[in-house]
Amino acid sequence: MFGIEHITNNNGWAMAAVGATIVFSGLVVLSFVISQIHKILNFWDEREKFIERFKKKAPAAVEEKADAPVYSERHLPAVDELVSIYQPLVDQLEEPFKLSQLFEIANKNDVPHPHLSIQRLQEADLLVAQGDGTFSWKKPKGN
Amino acid sequence: MFDLLFQFLTNTGYYLADYRHYIMIVVGSIFLYLGTAKKYEPLLLVPIGFGILVGNIPFFKGFGIGIYESNSVLHYLYFGVRTGVYPSIVFLGLGAMTDFSSLLAQPKLMLLGAAAQMGIYFTLLGALFFGFAPKEAASIAIIGGADGPTSIFLTAKLAPHLIGPIAIAAYSYMALIPVIQPPIMRLLTTRKERLIKMPPSRKVSKRELLIFPVAGVLLCCFLAPTALPLLGMLFLGNFLKECGVVNRLANTAQSAIIDTATIFLGFTVGCSTQADVFLTPKSLGIFFLGAVAFSIATASGVIFAKIMNLFLKEKINPLLGAAGVSAVPGSAREVHLMGLKEDPTNFLLMHGMACNSSGVIGSAICAGILWSFFI
Repeated sequence: MFGIEHITNNNGWAMAAVGATIVFSGLVVLSFVISQIHKILNFWDEREKFIERFKKKAPAAVEEKADAPVYSERHLPAVDELVSIYQPLVDQLEEPFKLSQLFEIANKNDVPHPHLSIQRLQEADLLVAQGDGTFSWKKPKGN
Repeated sequence: MFDLLFQFLTNTGYYLADYRHYIMIVVGSIFLYLGTAKKYEPLLLVPIGFGILVGNIPFFKGFGIGIYESNSVLHYLYFGVRTGVYPSIVFLGLGAMTDFSSLLAQPKLMLLGAAAQMGIYFTLLGALFFGFAPKEAASIAIIGGADGPTSIFLTAKLAPHLIGPIAIAAYSYMALIPVIQPPIMRLLTTRKERLIKMPPSRKVSKRELLIFPVAGVLLCCFLAPTALPLLGMLFLGNFLKECGVVNRLANTAQSAIIDTATIFLGFTVGCSTQADVFLTPKSLGIFFLGAVAFSIATASGVIFAKIMNLFLKEKINPLLGAAGVSAVPGSAREVHLMGLKEDPTNFLLMHGMACNSSGVIGSAICAGILWSFFI
């Protein structure tokens, strides 16, 4: 038998198509893999740098959040000093005042960590709640 | 006394020879001429040519002399061809001799090696069209890979009775690369395309060269396990060369081992072309289809390179497509020479070698695929 019929009867079209596809895709995959070898090796060589960079970025963000109060505890001025900073500010407000008003005025005067320092003053009972959402300033003894 | 003398004379080759033997002796002499005077693939053509001479000396059958007689020395040497041992050993040496750095530097050139394998599948259809049995057609088609050992390996597995003509056709066309490829390359490319200069390759690290044979053997042999005897040995040889701790083995593989295998392979393949077995209409068909396969493979590579250029920012010289056939290093050298002819400063050899080495891998995969179709 000859001709197209012989090709068809012996599954020639399928063999040619499948064979060509397999060899082509095999070599495409191999060429892709070998094109990546040097990149993978470069990455492997610089893994220390990458790990360091990763360590710096990701855990640092967590640390910042978790340690934020510790940072303020360490760096906030002592209560006496806070009083001397806040006294002139309170003097500008009418008593009783809202904490938001104090916060705003502290912010305007560039007081560091106004939120934390106001919280510290509250804890030291220097800002006394009036029960209606307002506060009054309690002068410390000896002043 | 005269009876004895007459009996002796009737047993001589002169008496037993017919015109077919003389034809084959002329063919063998042409091979020797091409190998020695023209230096066309002398490492292959000289042992094959001499084998053709030896194989076509007529003898009295039944005394264990000829290669097809089961108790002959030549038959034992031919064992390596029939079982695919020699091609595997040649691939070991080939791997130990091949530097894949140019391929690793430009992996996209591997696609040209893949494209050039299309000649195999077109020829498969052609051989079926002309009435060859499917296994014979697959064995003939692999000539398009332009790889002698691969052709012998596959034919030994699928159509052992055709080893002689297929091996001779494959090696002949490998030797005739300087005649076959240039007209096709010229026909399919413009001067402007032939003048395209390739950028210098990046430097490839030792570790890349070391990882490649491991990645290669795993990827290719998982895809086509039937290619293991060829690709396993190819990548083993290459690993021996690149690992740097077994230099003795690598040196032996790339010299003594491959040389020994080449001698026996070429010689016994030559011997297998006994006129009564070789000179048949089928052999003529095989030679014709082999030429078609080789030409289509060359053309496919060049055309695919041109197609790639439609999408690439950095154009590749389409001549390189012709080096996608696995005739190492003949086709790369031919591409290089044609590039130099157009522009004496255009050096394409290393880029051609990248395509060439991917062609070796590609044709071995094709052999595995074709074999697996008939398992």
